[in-house]
Amino acid sequence: MIDGLAYAVVALSGGVTLWGLVTAVAGRPPGKAQLLFAAGVWLVTLAQTVLGLVGLARGFRPVETATTIGYLLGIVVLIPLAWFWANSERTRWSGVVMAVAGLSVLAMTLRLLTLWVAR
Amino acid sequence: MSSVAPRPARTSSGPGRVLVAVYGLFALAACSRAGVQLATQYAEAPLAYLLSAVAGVVYVVATVTLARSTRTSRRVALVAIGVELVGVLTVGTLSVVDPAAFPRATVWSTYGIGYGFVPLVLPVLGLLWLRRTRPPA
Repeated sequence: MIDGLAYAVVALSGGVTLWGLVTAVAGRPPGKAQLLFAAGVWLVTLAQTVLGLVGLARGFRPVETATTIGYLLGIVVLIPLAWFWANSERTRWSGVVMAVAGLSVLAMTLRLLTLWVAR
Repeated sequence: MSSVAPRPARTSSGPGRVLVAVYGLFALAACSRAGVQLATQYAEAPLAYLLSAVAGVVYVVATVTLARSTRTSRRVALVAIGVELVGVLTVGTLSVVDPAAFPRATVWSTYGIGYGFVPLVLPVLGLLWLRRTRPPA
């Protein structure tokens, strides 16, 4: 894990959350640019997770290894799951689903930052 | 809504989409947490960790049944969400009154304070949503 990348994930997933809430309030389903943005954010979380797992494989031991692995895998599955669930019925609520996923990735990444300290 | 015949409102539609998403999130969180706890530190607090596992199962059942939205699944959802509400109130109260009984945190400790009290709000919203989408008798 790289701190700078983690802060980027926090900012970008915050963007997913805000954008989802904005379209929900406006009463529209998420637009194309919004969905592409979420896909891009997912790629950044994927990079974060791969780097984290590589770090663990090379012997880095954070405070709670099992929890860290859980969070690393969690942040990478949430956006795709929300993406598909939100778009299988496209309403304003799709944006709220995206916002929930964004907020979760944000919170989990902040938690990862506190966990990612050598034991 | 179709114009063919009055059909029960689907629990997975509209706002229900968000409810299912949040239930899914908690299913993932509670099961992962229970998995880690049971695998690595079972002996430290067996009761707390088993409760985490029960919470995880309840969230999984609620997620699936709300998403399926059939007559049967609505009934199962009602039971699961009822258990969830009783669980979070019981564990929440016990963890405040007798912290020694819960030396390690669960999803429901102190009414879900570790998760922004969402575990306390979620079953209430779930029950209201089931009532709202109740099929006409």
